[in-house]
Amino acid sequence: MVPFPRIPQPVRQANASGDRLTLVALTVMRVAIGWHFLYEGLAKLLKGNWSAAGFLLQSKWALAPVFKWMANTPDVLAVVNAMNIWGLMAIGLGLMLGAFTRLAACAGMLLILLYYVCNPPLPGLYYSIPMEGNYLIVNKNIVELAALGVIAVTSTGRFAGIDRLLAAWFRKRSLKS
Amino acid sequence: MTEEKKEPKQEEPEPAEGKKLGRRDFLQGLSTLPVLGLFGAAVVQQARFDRKQKTKAAGTVKPRAGSVSDLNVALLGAGAQGEVLLNAMLKIPGLRFRAVCDIWTEYNRKKTVNLLRKYKHEPNAYENHEDMLAREKDLDAVVIATPDFWHSRHAVDCMKAGLHVYCEKEMSNTLEGARRMVMASRETKRLLQIGHQRRSNPRYIHCRERILGEAGMIGRIATVGGQWNRSAQPDLGWPARYAMPAERLKRYGFRSMAQFRNWRWYKGLGGGPIVDLGSHQIDIYNWFLGGRPVAVTANGGIDYYPASTHEWYDTVMAVYEYETPAGRTRAFYQTQTTNSSQGYFENFMGDAGTLLISESANRGAVYREPSAPAWDEWVRRGIVTAPVLSEDPAADAAAAVLDVRETVSPEKYGLPVEFTDPYHKPHLENFFDAVRGNAVLNCPAEVGYECAVTVLKVNASVEAARRLTFDPKEFEV
Repeated sequence: MVPFPRIPQPVRQANASGDRLTLVALTVMRVAIGWHFLYEGLAKLLKGNWSAAGFLLQSKWALAPVFKWMANTPDVLAVVNAMNIWGLMAIGLGLMLGAFTRLAACAGMLLILLYYVCNPPLPGLYYSIPMEGNYLIVNKNIVELAALGVIAVTSTGRFAGIDRLLAAWFRKRSLKS
Repeated sequence: MTEEKKEPKQEEPEPAEGKKLGRRDFLQGLSTLPVLGLFGAAVVQQARFDRKQKTKAAGTVKPRAGSVSDLNVALLGAGAQGEVLLNAMLKIPGLRFRAVCDIWTEYNRKKTVNLLRKYKHEPNAYENHEDMLAREKDLDAVVIATPDFWHSRHAVDCMKAGLHVYCEKEMSNTLEGARRMVMASRETKRLLQIGHQRRSNPRYIHCRERILGEAGMIGRIATVGGQWNRSAQPDLGWPARYAMPAERLKRYGFRSMAQFRNWRWYKGLGGGPIVDLGSHQIDIYNWFLGGRPVAVTANGGIDYYPASTHEWYDTVMAVYEYETPAGRTRAFYQTQTTNSSQGYFENFMGDAGTLLISESANRGAVYREPSAPAWDEWVRRGIVTAPVLSEDPAADAAAAVLDVRETVSPEKYGLPVEFTDPYHKPHLENFFDAVRGNAVLNCPAEVGYECAVTVLKVNASVEAARRLTFDPKEFEV
């Protein structure tokens, strides 16, 4: 039996310094991001006819041909749409409840990275879908990506989240064996 | 594992190995679960809001009431507009087409009869409306889409024969003709609906009743703008083998096939673009402003097309003056037929906001002036939908050069009413419902007459090259 991974250092350090407040703040951030993901997915699902095609077709920069191919290939587009909707919701739930937190955070980072490289706000690129703010290189995607990075390395799920129970359960099993 | 065991055991942040899960672990492990409940509640609330907006919008479309016994209908005039009306009518249940009448028997009439046969109707075909009225004894209603100069004669004859009449606008090319129609409608007690179909369009009704009426959200309307700009078009032609004999053309008032096909451009037959296009929208000025104009100043001419084949003005710009209960309103209208820039729309500009409405493909929005009070209540009440981001990159560009002389671009709110039926369908439905006794006409003869008075004055003003005033008595019959 493979031993359960070590307790991540930052959590221990935070704890060691008695900084509960840090963990509470990180948990709030995690839940907020989770909420955002969950609703992004759910809203697309409820809309019924949502498709990523418009977003993908806007793609600029190096990987644009790949994204445009996705948008223009119906079967691929169907998969992309489904993965977006259900992926967003699964990641959102994971983050909100602190279940498989690190996996959810990493998957979320990957998804956001795809959004970013599809339509990066690089100097000179122009998009016809209106944006609600002003961005240069760094946009809200990058901020959320960075925040998920923090969540991925701090395992707040084991502080306040279902991971706390899961971890104990897994450990019990591994101890038994 | 051995290393793990050497770690100092602590209550937090996670349960130590080997130790049984405590109550505290469960509490902490599930501590974010209530957020999911909060999330669910928010989603339910939002879904309820969306649904309410939708049903509110749907609520403006009145359900059809009463029995749907078949009405016997004739189509008089089966040209381009007749075809538009027919296609809308084929989507209305409870109509039986018994007769089609058109002088171009070789083409229009044949095409229309064939179309109706496809839909299992067995219409009799006529060239002359008097023959039709003499032979068809069980008609209930007639839909007239002949050239303007025939409207009066056709409508009056049909009403005298006992039929209810839906007549395309312009009601007539002369006010005498229009007046005869109003009188005939009163004398025969037959219904006469004039084809200003925007008056039955649920989007327009919503704008008038709720945005302007109930909410009054755009404030005091001091100016109105509107236009119908259409691309340059070649004259209409005809297949040589379907040309009508000269004798028949003459009998029905046409000099030639070319004049018959392009009658809208000829004095004495039509009224030119201001009447063909402008009439619809200037009618909305009257309707939305709740009054009649007191004066009009118009300028126009035959600037582009050869005057030999185009007797009416291809370009017209007109300014109406209205005295509304709230004060004076100036309403500009332009129609030009050489360029389609910005298409067609009516734009009501109040001191608190702008109502932009068009019959065209759900084009419409309400813009809040930056100084106006918040419109959240109107969004909540389903009068407008929440503001959307500017779809116009030019607007963003304008914001980029913003300086003290400019004001911020206004927020754009949407109209909650979607309308996907053929444009003329609700107006025809209103007519047939009225024939069945289940509705009141949205554009009865008197209203059509008011519009004819309002619009025909533009041509008079162009001709006189000066401002012309309206005598309130002019609008009465």
